[in-house]
Amino acid sequence: MNTLEVKNIKKTFKLSKKQQKIEKTDIKLKIAVNDLSFTAFPGEIYGLLGPNGAGKTTCLRAISTLIKPDEGDILVGGSSVVTDSFEVRKKIGFLTSELKLEDHFTPNYLYTYFSRLHNVEEDVIEERKKVLFERFGIEEFKEVKVGDLSTGMKQKTSIAISLVHNPEYIVFDEPTNGLDVLTARSVTDYLVELKESGKTVILSTHILSVVEKLCDRVGIIINGKMKISDTLENVKKTNSNNDLEEIFFNLVKEDELAGGGF
Amino acid sequence: MKNIVTIFRKEFYRVMSDRRLIFTAILLPGLAIYIMYTFIGSAIGGEIEDITQHKMIIYTENLPTEVQNYIYTQEINPEYHIYDSAEHDELEEMILNGEVDMLIRFEETFEDDIDNLIVTGIQIYSNPGEKYSEYTYNVITNALHSYANVIGIERYGDAYYSFDMSSEIIMDEEKAAGQNFAMLLPMLIVMFLFSGAMSIGPDSIAGEKERGTIATLLVTPVKRSEIAIGKVLSLTVISMMSATSSFIGIMFSLPNLMQGAGDNLDVFIYGAWDILMLFSVLLATVFVIVGLVAALSAYAKSIKEASMLIMPFYFISMALGISTMFSGEASSELWVYFMPIYSSVNLIIAILTFDLSLTAYLITISTSLIYVAIFVYILTKLFQSEKVMFSK
Ligand SMILES: Nc1ncnc2c1ncn2[C@@H]1O[C@H](COP(=O)(O)OP(=O)(O)OP(=O)(O)O)[C@@H](O)[C@H]1O
Ligand SMILES: [Mg+2]
Repeated sequence: MNTLEVKNIKKTFKLSKKQQKIEKTDIKLKIAVNDLSFTAFPGEIYGLLGPNGAGKTTCLRAISTLIKPDEGDILVGGSSVVTDSFEVRKKIGFLTSELKLEDHFTPNYLYTYFSRLHNVEEDVIEERKKVLFERFGIEEFKEVKVGDLSTGMKQKTSIAISLVHNPEYIVFDEPTNGLDVLTARSVTDYLVELKESGKTVILSTHILSVVEKLCDRVGIIINGKMKISDTLENVKKTNSNNDLEEIFFNLVKEDELAGGGF
Repeated sequence: MKNIVTIFRKEFYRVMSDRRLIFTAILLPGLAIYIMYTFIGSAIGGEIEDITQHKMIIYTENLPTEVQNYIYTQEINPEYHIYDSAEHDELEEMILNGEVDMLIRFEETFEDDIDNLIVTGIQIYSNPGEKYSEYTYNVITNALHSYANVIGIERYGDAYYSFDMSSEIIMDEEKAAGQNFAMLLPMLIVMFLFSGAMSIGPDSIAGEKERGTIATLLVTPVKRSEIAIGKVLSLTVISMMSATSSFIGIMFSLPNLMQGAGDNLDVFIYGAWDILMLFSVLLATVFVIVGLVAALSAYAKSIKEASMLIMPFYFISMALGISTMFSGEASSELWVYFMPIYSSVNLIIAILTFDLSLTAYLITISTSLIYVAIFVYILTKLFQSEKVMFSK
């Protein structure tokens, strides 16, 4: 029951004229995610691996309920994103570059604001704030307006804010993007801690080493389709050299030969 | 409910902690109105087509045919009634409430007096508080003066003859003052309520979309309706503050205005009850305006687009405010009070001229609440729509 199940979701975007130009296509519909399924378990980190534009962010946005899948469903601890998005939002902590923080406010203010919106008790807010701010080194700049923070500082603040309600399901889209090695390390360490405390963690990345170091399970998405989804060990076994990079390249090549996702 | 309060407080704090926004949203309207009023001063009491087209109603005693003919040659064509001294009090009452524009009494001996070179007396009763009566007075006394000149030249070879005209003023001072306010305020009130809402609404909603901060709010377990209500409430309070600032601006610029709009601009003619009524109407109006601005801002892709979408509604509302500016009278048609904004404009006039009908008041307030409920519903739907929220 504490799993996060993605069941055959499909998401299509209508392309505007402008987008058609950017994508250099006259196709009006873009299938971003095509019949995608996987399950993430508590106490594990699930890694979504895929090249740029594969559909990782789209999949995670659907989990977060920001967008609704055209087909299929996602069950987060039994709650459906289609019929019960409100419950889903209570359970997950979502991070993606799309979620911006308002420039005018300080990390301290925003942390409290979002905690309240998540219905966290006042004393718990302060307690958890202290822990998270120390953990990610936000303490020094907690009274500086977000607009005056560096990209990395903003990312750290976003991470802390996504965790205000101590969620059971953690869905992070490229969490170490824009972070220096030290901070990236503190983030990945924290994700490991979360998983060890029994939480379900999903993260997306196109960096192979992150997957190899962190993930218990991995799913490789190419062109909106799930090519393989299994434990890291089992995935590696499909290649004689146990080489994830090689597996990844082969899958991409295979897809290109098949003529993409269409 | 708790979430509404949380969102409200944050939205409110957003503006209150930003000096630039405090200035543009709250202080500027008052300042602008002060400056504008000081400049437009005299333009307001200006010429009014409607008045010249009005059929003057004049009661007369001993109206000499020659005078009547002379007035007719001046292209003045009033409706004459014969004066009956037994009904003098009723007539004064009718002049007071504007049903009759003027009473003019000539001496029975008018012709003889002229022949004998006696200065003859003319008694005129009018009400400068009623625009038609005031106009009638001006037109008729002018005609009489020039008639006296004509007589002088025709009969005595020079223009020295004149009448002894005495004017009785029948006026309700408060109502006259109220009318001046009624002409001035509605358009400005609508304008400044709008400008308050427009200076922050697009930024608070379309701006959040544009900057991508709305998504952060949308992934929290907050009902979309709570976001809608929280935003609308905070925008309402700030717009009301902005309107209050405009009001203060009006008060301070009154002395500058007086020159143009008569001496009857003393706010103290209104009691606490009138102010309370006015306030409740303003609040209802702000709700409607904010609801509209918020819904358009949520639909727009950017702050710029939001401002563009709001503009036509702003101009229509201004036009509604202006349309009543010269009449200075509230509409007595009931349907008017079902129309958003237009109802408020008319109701504001009704309150200012001590002419408030309870039915009109109740219709305006309740329809305004219905309109704002509809806007909040639309806003909620827009917040729920991924196409609208993430359109680029
Ligand atoms: N709102 C949208 N409208 C049109 N097309 C979209 C939209 N969002 C995503 N897409 C398209 O869907 C595809 C998948 O995008 P997505 O952002 O999910 O990829 P990704 O795997 O996260 O890539 P990256 O590693 O670059 O972040 C892309 O081709 C993208 O152009
Ligand atoms: Mg992405």
